[in-house]
Amino acid sequence: MAAHYTLILGTKDWSSWSLRPYMALRAVGVPFDEDVIPLERNATTAAVQRRTPAGKVPVLTIAENGQTITIWDSLAICETLAERHPEAKLWPDDAGDRAIARAYAAEMHSGFPDLRDQLTMDFVRRLPTPPLREATRTQVARIIAAWSAALERHGKNGGFLFGRFSIADCMYAPVVSRFLTYGIELPPALTAYCARMMALPAMQDWARAAQAEVDAGLA
Amino acid sequence: MSARYTIVIGTKNWSSWSLRPYLALRATGAPFEEIVLRLRRPDTSAQIRQYSSAGKVPVLKIVEHGHTATVWESLAICETLAERHKDAGLWPDDAEQRARARSISSEMHSGFPALRAKLPMDFVRKHPTPELDEETSTQIARIVAAWTKQLSRNPGDGYLFGRFSIADCMYAPVVSRFLTYGIELPPALTAYCARMMALPAMQDWARAAQAEVDAGLA
Repeated sequence: MAAHYTLILGTKDWSSWSLRPYMALRAVGVPFDEDVIPLERNATTAAVQRRTPAGKVPVLTIAENGQTITIWDSLAICETLAERHPEAKLWPDDAGDRAIARAYAAEMHSGFPDLRDQLTMDFVRRLPTPPLREATRTQVARIIAAWSAALERHGKNGGFLFGRFSIADCMYAPVVSRFLTYGIELPPALTAYCARMMALPAMQDWARAAQAEVDAGLA
Repeated sequence: MSARYTIVIGTKNWSSWSLRPYLALRATGAPFEEIVLRLRRPDTSAQIRQYSSAGKVPVLKIVEHGHTATVWESLAICETLAERHKDAGLWPDDAEQRARARSISSEMHSGFPALRAKLPMDFVRKHPTPELDEETSTQIARIVAAWTKQLSRNPGDGYLFGRFSIADCMYAPVVSRFLTYGIELPPALTAYCARMMALPAMQDWARAAQAEVDAGLA
């Protein structure tokens, strides 16, 4: 019997951490259920605690052979999907490129706190560019340099950071959204990369769901 | 020809991020060279930029077949070592346990900001327990709960997943912080911390950190 996946997410317009494993799961191509927990409400903490010991979304549950396993944390979910679905090629084939792609993903996973704080994800809205703190500017510049280097090296082989779409793109997908929401100026190659990301069917589906949340007053 | 490893790390007494891949590298048993950069000095940033485009330590350089790969980020280095040294068993063998170990490791990698800010690593010193705000206390309670669950589920060699794994590497700096600041722990976790501190790699790290302190570098 095939494994049954359920992805537990936060409000799509806001939950940047949720978008990452969602993109990876969509790239795998298996069917999955979604359980969206509305964030920033009185019942949110209790709802999240019921589903995960770490008290955070996203969470992936895999029901298989009569057992259910619970995996939390965006990057751990992505790594586990990559391992379970080697045919989906969520990491680059080349070992050297894979090591660098993991460095990109991990740098996003542990870093850029000012960017996350000042340019919070608000997927479907367009907001004025706020005055950026120096730390935020440095972090934006680092991402621009990192994306530019990766696209220069691999972009011609598929247009994504490591050529073919990979977990590195999943991890930076919320940054793409933030750059567009807040009108951050980018070099042309990166504007094209952002457009390519936003055109992915999974990103368009996410945008539609986020818009529905906004229309319903949930975000 | 086998690969040559060089790990670029920060002042050992302070650099919690450096300790993690160092322990993973020691667990592979492969020989490696170390470059220790002095943190908290005027030229620190410039020094780090020579080795890392991300501007951060740790970095692992892998020289193989005439070219050099530079991998940064503690968790990316650990995953890369796990992949290159399957025989070292850096992740649990069982797929479900491995998924869990990755969850716990990633939780450390992206989380516990209050703990990191309030209880900075100072490997060889002992400090009075500071007054802990609610956020820090909640984060400590989460770690205590996670360790307790793992240790009761996986007796084995007494590590979080039985055998020593990347999960232990990721939490090694927390072990050090709990000891430095005298955080009260249940007996099973005190024993776990003692087991971690007794690892030859942790003892070597402690000796190097002590030498930094003695030399006025930390």
